[in-house]
Amino acid sequence: MRRPTLAALTLALAALASAPACDGAARPDPAAETAPAGERYSLYDLPSTWRDQDGAALRLASLAGRPRVVAMVYTNCHATCPLIVADLKRVEASLPAARRDAVGFVLVSLDPERDTPGRLAEWAARTQLEPARWTLLNGDADAVREVAAALGVRYQPEADAEGGGELAHTNVITVLDADGAPVHQQVGLGAAAAGTVDAVRRLLR
Amino acid sequence: MRRLAAVLALLALAPRAGAAADDAAGRRPGAEMVRLPAGTYRPLYGRPGDAPTAVAAFRLDRDAATRGEFLAFVRERPEWRRGAVRPLFADRRGYLADWAGDLDAGDATDRRRPVTGVSWFAAKAYCAWRGKRLPTVHEWEYAAAASATRRDAGREPWFVQDLLTRYTTRPRPLPALPAGAGNLYGVRGLHGLAWEWTADFNSVLVSDDSRGVGARDHDLFCASAAVGATDPGNYPAFLRYALRAGLTGRAAVETLGVRCAA
Repeated sequence: MRRPTLAALTLALAALASAPACDGAARPDPAAETAPAGERYSLYDLPSTWRDQDGAALRLASLAGRPRVVAMVYTNCHATCPLIVADLKRVEASLPAARRDAVGFVLVSLDPERDTPGRLAEWAARTQLEPARWTLLNGDADAVREVAAALGVRYQPEADAEGGGELAHTNVITVLDADGAPVHQQVGLGAAAAGTVDAVRRLLR
Repeated sequence: MRRLAAVLALLALAPRAGAAADDAAGRRPGAEMVRLPAGTYRPLYGRPGDAPTAVAAFRLDRDAATRGEFLAFVRERPEWRRGAVRPLFADRRGYLADWAGDLDAGDATDRRRPVTGVSWFAAKAYCAWRGKRLPTVHEWEYAAAASATRRDAGREPWFVQDLLTRYTTRPRPLPALPAGAGNLYGVRGLHGLAWEWTADFNSVLVSDDSRGVGARDHDLFCASAAVGATDPGNYPAFLRYALRAGLTGRAAVETLGVRCAA
C-alpha cells in the first residue's frame, strides 16, 4: 500500500457511513452481510476462561465440534437484545428438527457484573432457550472486550443511569464453523437474518 | 504524595542520558513515562450538557514504542513473531509487514522508529509484557488534548489546524525517536507520527449524524447511551474516532502503533 493513511481513513470513513442499524428493515444496508476476508482465524484461540449458565468453567475451545451462532447481549437489555435473540431463534427454527442439535447458539454477556451464571440461567429459562443448544457465557471485563474486538462488536460498558442501565452496543451475529472460524457475519437485525440462516445451512451440508 | 508527584515530575523532565541508544534488550533507558494529573476533558462524542469526563491520574509512555522495543518483546515471546502469530491475533498481511524478517527490525536507526503494523492483541500483549497496559480512549484523548501550554486545547482553532496539518504531513518513514516536541505533560509524538491503539478502541459507537442526538440515534443503536458529536469543528478528533471505528482487534495497519500506560 503506497498511501496507507489515506486507505485507512477511507476504510474508517466507510465504516462511519455504514453504522449498524438495529432494525434491518428500516435501514437496509447492502453491506450488512459480510464474509470475513483474508486468512482463516479461530475465535477459539482466545485463552480466556468463562462460566456458562450452569456455573461450569470453560474455555471457548470447548465449543469446537459443531457450528455455533454467536452474539453479544445482556439480560437487562430491553431495546435490541430481545431482537437479537429473536433472530437467533429464527435461525434455530429454520433448521430441520433432526439437525437442530447439530448447531449451537452462544450468547456472550456484555454485562458480566450483573449477568452472573444464575441470572443467565434464569433468563435463559424465561426466554425459553433450549439448554442443549444454547450456551450463555459470563467472563471478566477483559475477556468480554477481547471477544468484542475479535468479532467487531462495539459497546460502551458503562451503563447509562438515565436509560435504566442500558448499554450501547452494535448488533452483530457471527456464524462460526466447527473450528471457531467466522464464516458469516450479520450486522443489523431482521431482514439480514436470512443470510445467517443460509450460512448455517451451508455448514450443515 | 506531593513529594512523590514532584519527584515524578522531575524524573519526567530529566534529560534522558543515552536516550538514543538501545540497550542490549532493545529497551531504551531513562525515564520513559510521564505522569498525567487527574482532570476532566470533553470527549468528542457525548451528549450536549454532559458533564466533562473525569480522568484519574495515570502514567503514559513519553514516546511511542519503537521497533527495537517490540523486537525485544518478540524475542522473548516467540508466539508474537510475524511468522508464528495466530491469525486471530493479527492479520498477517499487515503485521510487522515492514520488517525484513521475524527478528529483523532493521538497522539501528530503524529500530528507533515507532513500531507500526501491530494489532490490538499484539499491542495489548506488548504492554502487559512491559508491566503496563494500553491507555483507554479517555486517557489517550485527554493526553492528546494538550498543547505545549494548555491542558485542553481541543477547542483552540490554531491547535486543531495544527493537528490537521500534522495528520496530513506525517513523515515517511517515521523518524527515529525521540521525535516531536512534548506537549504540556511532556508526552511526545502523539499527533505527528502514527495512530495509536487504545484499550477500548471498540467502545465508541459513532453515529453517522453529527447534528445532534435524537430519536434517530436511538434507532441506530437502540440504546440511550448512543451519542453525537459535541464539537463538529474538531475534525482531527473525528479522524481518530473514525479510524477506531474501522478497526477490529486483529487489524494490523502500517500507520498504527502503540504507546503504553500504567
